[in-house]
Amino acid sequence: MPTRSVLAILLCFVAFASSACTRHEASDTPTYAFVSNGIDPYWVIAQAGVEKAGRDLGVDVVVHMPASGINDQKRILEDLLTRQVAGIAVSPIDPANQVEQLDDIAARIPLLTTDSDARESQRLCFVGVDNYVAGRMAGELVREALPDGGAIAVFVGRLEQDNAARRRAGLIDELLGREPDPTRHDPADATLEGNGFRIVGTLTDQFDMAKAKANVEDMISRHPDLDGAVGLFAYNAPMILEAVRQAGRIGDIAIVGFDERDETLAGVSDGSIHGTVVQNPFMYGYRSIELLHQIDSGDRSGIPADGFERIPARAIRKAEVDAFWAEKKELLGT
Amino acid sequence: MKNVLGVIGLLVVVCLLTALASEHFMTGRNIENLMRRTALFGLLGLGAAFVIVTGGIDLSIGSIVCLVGCLTPYLVVECGWAPGLTVAFVLGVAALLGVVHGLLITRLRLQPFLVTLCGLLIYRGIARGITGDQSQGFRSGFSDLRFWGNGRLEVGVFDFAVPAPAVVLAVVAILAAIALSHTVFGRYLRAIGRNEQAARYAGIATDRCVVAAYTVCALLAGLGGLLFVFDVGSAQPADFGNVYELYAIAAAVLGGCSLRGGEVSVLGVVVGAAVMQVLRNAITLVPWIPDAIEYAVIGGVILAGVAIDEVVKRAVAQRRLRNSV
Repeated sequence: MPTRSVLAILLCFVAFASSACTRHEASDTPTYAFVSNGIDPYWVIAQAGVEKAGRDLGVDVVVHMPASGINDQKRILEDLLTRQVAGIAVSPIDPANQVEQLDDIAARIPLLTTDSDARESQRLCFVGVDNYVAGRMAGELVREALPDGGAIAVFVGRLEQDNAARRRAGLIDELLGREPDPTRHDPADATLEGNGFRIVGTLTDQFDMAKAKANVEDMISRHPDLDGAVGLFAYNAPMILEAVRQAGRIGDIAIVGFDERDETLAGVSDGSIHGTVVQNPFMYGYRSIELLHQIDSGDRSGIPADGFERIPARAIRKAEVDAFWAEKKELLGT
Repeated sequence: MKNVLGVIGLLVVVCLLTALASEHFMTGRNIENLMRRTALFGLLGLGAAFVIVTGGIDLSIGSIVCLVGCLTPYLVVECGWAPGLTVAFVLGVAALLGVVHGLLITRLRLQPFLVTLCGLLIYRGIARGITGDQSQGFRSGFSDLRFWGNGRLEVGVFDFAVPAPAVVLAVVAILAAIALSHTVFGRYLRAIGRNEQAARYAGIATDRCVVAAYTVCALLAGLGGLLFVFDVGSAQPADFGNVYELYAIAAAVLGGCSLRGGEVSVLGVVVGAAVMQVLRNAITLVPWIPDAIEYAVIGGVILAGVAIDEVVKRAVAQRRLRNSV
């Protein structure tokens, strides 16, 4: 009879599942979770840091990368609470509108933000770079490449993210020589001039690679006199490089990027990219887990007084790139 | 009912396996989360079912979710509209879009795939244009308004409360079941799905029925979008509701709707939506399933489920045939 065969199949499944999952339930070591804001090789480096910390401290760690935006991140955070992890480090996608959920988590378990902060939430501290300072560093790189100034276009995934907004503010303040103000928000499509530099616009791509490249191509068409292109997210510099190369403008348009994609480093190495500002995602991952474990064990002395665990950024130019690349390969074990 | 047994079996198996693999699955809070997510996706699935039963398709569901999801906080927070007016307006817009789809399909005889594919592109584009590509959110305010998306109705047992969207889904599902199975309208929709020409020759006002089906679908997509943004609190125009039409269509087909039209089961659609949400939940809860293979797991389990269902059905049919000879 059909019911019997369905039952038999069901039993096979159950037997298989129970044999596959018994080994995990017995452990009583704490589990800490690290949740990124998307899927990116940048987060794979952070994952290496998370896993290294897990091994060093003898704790269980899980890394989750939301595939489809804020809905997905919300779901993952809910499920991690259900799973009763002992602490979470998260890079919030839309901090201003996620306060409620973050506070809900912070009320139950230690919560850190990493890479991008949610200042208004009850998170214990933020592990990351001072994005405004990093933005200024990128500005210095642009000034090195274009000592006489010029027309600059800026490319970024999403501007509503705190890290993107601050990087952009730092970059623009440095280029235009304005009073430092990390919270200033210039409209994305405004043309800003000063100090010999002209920012012709900031284009967003919402993490869509094809769009990121098309943005650069369109800006080159629209501003034939473009002198420089700055990419604020990890994938922006490789996309800029592709578009500038296809337009035959290498050497003519100065490129400055963020982070340590292999394509970016290769570009810095062969001189087609002037330089890149690198964060330290490995340390974000490592330090987040280290702090979470410390806090979970009852020791809160590691939380900085201003709630900001600064992991400094570095500017990588042609001279520094080989040593840096070797270091990255060692961290990733490749 | 027979068509639904397979998907219910699949849901039971997936739930059992997840419960075995994670002690946290059968907790009040988790079941509540799952009910809420199933309710939100279930609304979209029910909308899709109305169109699919006529043999049509609606690819614009995700973009309507995006448009409504972005417009609602935009109008309430940025433009200062009254919440009640905003809700009526966005649902009205969604319904109107459905009417337009229906008219283009019936009067101009354009293909549903094409009309709604263009809708997919247009509505997301409009949402991004209106909002200037900026994410729109309630900034932790408007908790009364957001109740129907993230509210909980306490029942006083364990850590469990009935999520408000589940109540919305229950009401919509009952209405949909009545409309599809116990009204002339429902019978007409099935008839159109089986053979539109025959239905027309039989004197059914097929055009009007098809327009109504697309309107219901768009309206439910709008309602889903509304509840999604109430739940999440903010929406990014570029990715909010992205590919949700596929989740909706998959829930409908998994729940027993034939893409060729003519067949539908409200219960099946809701269970189909639940299967997908439980699978995604399992991937986060079970430590040894890596995140990266999420889509592979969902695809694999569903494919295995429907394949087994089909094999079992055929075996049963064969045995019946043999017995009757």
